Amino acid sequence: MRAPRRLVESLFLQQVFNGLIVGSLYCLIAIGLTMIFGVMRISNFAHGDFSMLGAYIALYFIAVVSGWFGWIGSLVAAAIGVGIIGFFVERFLFRRLLTRWTDIDIIMLSIGLFILLENGARLVFGPTPKMIPDPFGNTSVNLLVVSTSTLRLLSFVISCVAIFLLQLFLIKTKVGVAIRATSQNRNAALLMGINISFIYSLTFVVGSALAGFGGVLYGTIFAIFPTMGAMPTLKAFAVTILGGMGNIRGAIFGGFILGVAETLGGNYISMQYKNAIGFIMIILVLLVIPNGLFGEKQRT
Amino acid sequence: MNRKSVKWPLIALGALILLALPWIIRDRYVQHLMVLSCISIILSSSWNLLAGYSGLLNLGHAAFFGIGGYTSALLALKLGLSPWIGLPLGGVMASFFGILLGIPSFRLSGPYLAITTIGFSEILRLVSMNWVSMTRGSLGLYGIPPFTPLKLSEKIFIPFTTEQNVYYIVLVFTVLILFLLKKLIHSEFGISLKSMREDEIGSESIGIHASYYKLMVFMISAFLAGFAGSLYAHYIRLISPEMLSLGETFSVLTMVMVGGLGTLGGPVIGAVLLTFLSEGLRFVEDYAKIDIRLIIYGLLLMLTILFMRNGIAGIWKEIIKPIISKPER
Amino acid sequence: MEGNYQAHHFETGEITKVAILQGFNLTKWFGGLCAVKNVNFSMEEGEILGLIGPNGAGKTTLINIVTGNYSPSSGQILYEGRNIEGLKAYQVNNLGISRTFQIVRIFPKLTVLDNVRSALVDRKTRLPWKVALDSLVKHKEAQATGRNGEMVATQLLESVGLASYRHELAENLPYAYGKRLEIARALATHPRILLLDEPSSGLNPKEQNDQISIIRKINAQGITILIVEHVMKVIMDISHRIMVLHYGEKIAEGTPAEIYKNEKVVEAYLGGETGADR
Repeated sequence: MRAPRRLVESLFLQQVFNGLIVGSLYCLIAIGLTMIFGVMRISNFAHGDFSMLGAYIALYFIAVVSGWFGWIGSLVAAAIGVGIIGFFVERFLFRRLLTRWTDIDIIMLSIGLFILLENGARLVFGPTPKMIPDPFGNTSVNLLVVSTSTLRLLSFVISCVAIFLLQLFLIKTKVGVAIRATSQNRNAALLMGINISFIYSLTFVVGSALAGFGGVLYGTIFAIFPTMGAMPTLKAFAVTILGGMGNIRGAIFGGFILGVAETLGGNYISMQYKNAIGFIMIILVLLVIPNGLFGEKQRT
Repeated sequence: MNRKSVKWPLIALGALILLALPWIIRDRYVQHLMVLSCISIILSSSWNLLAGYSGLLNLGHAAFFGIGGYTSALLALKLGLSPWIGLPLGGVMASFFGILLGIPSFRLSGPYLAITTIGFSEILRLVSMNWVSMTRGSLGLYGIPPFTPLKLSEKIFIPFTTEQNVYYIVLVFTVLILFLLKKLIHSEFGISLKSMREDEIGSESIGIHASYYKLMVFMISAFLAGFAGSLYAHYIRLISPEMLSLGETFSVLTMVMVGGLGTLGGPVIGAVLLTFLSEGLRFVEDYAKIDIRLIIYGLLLMLTILFMRNGIAGIWKEIIKPIISKPER
Repeated sequence: MEGNYQAHHFETGEITKVAILQGFNLTKWFGGLCAVKNVNFSMEEGEILGLIGPNGAGKTTLINIVTGNYSPSSGQILYEGRNIEGLKAYQVNNLGISRTFQIVRIFPKLTVLDNVRSALVDRKTRLPWKVALDSLVKHKEAQATGRNGEMVATQLLESVGLASYRHELAENLPYAYGKRLEIARALATHPRILLLDEPSSGLNPKEQNDQISIIRKINAQGITILIVEHVMKVIMDISHRIMVLHYGEKIAEGTPAEIYKNEKVVEAYLGGETGADR
């Protein structure tokens, strides 16, 4: 006996909704990555590790300040903490390469950083996965046809708010516009009196902070372990390529697409190859449009 | 006594030492490392061909290694095929996939190509983990037959179950491959690759069909990596999907960068150094109970990029060689 | 249109010498922008044809179309009487047309010598697989990377005055020398036609003079030259004929003297009665 159509429909909608929730997390991490690439042409393979660090910072924060209040506080703490780490990474590592920038150099450096952070975290925090207790006590919410845990719903809302605030920042504030200007045309920005050094640092800090922020959400919903950053990094790259590297709106679009595609694909096609979906998508996209769906911004 | 006349005696001496090594160093564990080093030399040199000489950033190289290993192992396990035949077949299979990966490289470069190659190898790793009927999934394949013994005559019979004997096999192949690579690189083919690496559009303006060359390098590089994988499979006799992991690729990449990207000697230096270093660190780990090996890898890679961009071979070329050789002009 | 291997004078229709390169109704669109529109041209073997026009006139685009870096939206190109439009850049080069670039594309991490040697490799009679095979079996000395190749490359470098720098890394060369290196490299493929894209840009007057004599020497060997240039002194001095593009269309063609006095050309450069706007 086939399931009643209504049920099938709402199951589909449920999956889409789940996909959107995961997608929002991908967005957070991908936006940071694409911003950093757009402004500084840095492909940071260690980006996901910033999420991992954010998650661990949150873990320690919550150990001190518990409850949902602590959770919110941990989000802030993670963002700030990872932002600071990002500042030092940019200033003392990537900045040194800027004069002899080549793709290989930067990618290799970030891979080295990735290996270091992942294994350093294993050494410091231990390999066993840890959990952040659900600040909402495992409650769930019903929204007409779909339902989800309060935690996930709130994570989704928080992600969307963060993305929205970032967009505001980039469009309405002077500094935000400066970032976008530098991303589009570094030389012209320089000539307009924009302090490129400051913009570089700021972009990297903001991008990393976003990753750390997303890491807390990711870690609360799933689990926290030292190698948790690898998959998000790859997925963030997939998203940025889908959306065009440097293109923030593309990253937002791509993040949700990937989230939904993965969830639907995982359920209707194959659970085991779920993680491959993102890669298959980008390979297909890149074969046809070498610069991603929304293309890369033109640079002089 | 000028440089030319010193060359051949030195080579002969070097060959003698390499051949005698397992008799000088009898510790089986060190011999094991020597075998691994040779396999790593082949693998690293193959990656260097792509990234160092052709400028193609392939972060999915472990896939070729794994495909070679699995192909050869499966042929031996399921069809009873001799590993000697499986060896080149593993390489051939890998080079088919090399062609697949070569095609995106026509239009993609830099991070775009890097991510595509990662995606490619991750997809293949997932296949090796989930196609359980063929690959036994995460359990991997064990009991892989070693290289079938060589029968030189009725009485003389050489089995390949000891590190020492396998060492000779891999040594021969390593030297052969390095020799062939040297011929390829220091030649018209090599200079064409380097031109393409430096400026693809500029190279097209002097008649280089870049796509064709890219495809060729991917095929050759993949073949060599697959070959190395087969060697590995019939030596260690136990393989798992880990062979196709990103960690494996990063390991190769670190060896080449530390040794010296874009040089013939770099991968050799890096492979030997890191194989021995890695095992040496394992002793530290066991003793001090901390997991430090990979941290050192990461640090080494970062330090190399920041301070020693051309690796150890680069330092040799830039600093030591000018001091040693007398000025000629 | 059939490829007739003869040159018709632009206006009189008179059949003159052999036309080695001809373009018919070449048009190139980039999205909604027409960069080159219905351009016809004809080059006689052995001449130096200058190509001028204000910025954005489509000169480099036209060169890129001839060399195969772009394919034309419509139109034909005949080289030695055969159609070559739609061929890729490496194929066009193999047929005997070489070029230099507006912003130099030399191979930075190779030596000056190797930059030229890479072009000496015979690719006209061999496919890349054969190049690889030959690299394995043929003796090193027989290849461009051997001693013969070094000699020929050094000669080419001498002809542009760079022989003493041959062991330098190309990236260490001053800008003007880099331009010369690119010319030497382009010559190494034994072209019948050489397309020079702004060979004098960024050069001081002395360097420009040197460039002029280099180009003259090349032409004296029988190589047909198409030169895009902004520096009027160079192009007036050196060209047998000049073609003028403006907003993608050919607006004039003739000897330097004729072009100099041509009203349309003056107007294009100076913006007409309303005064200079360029």
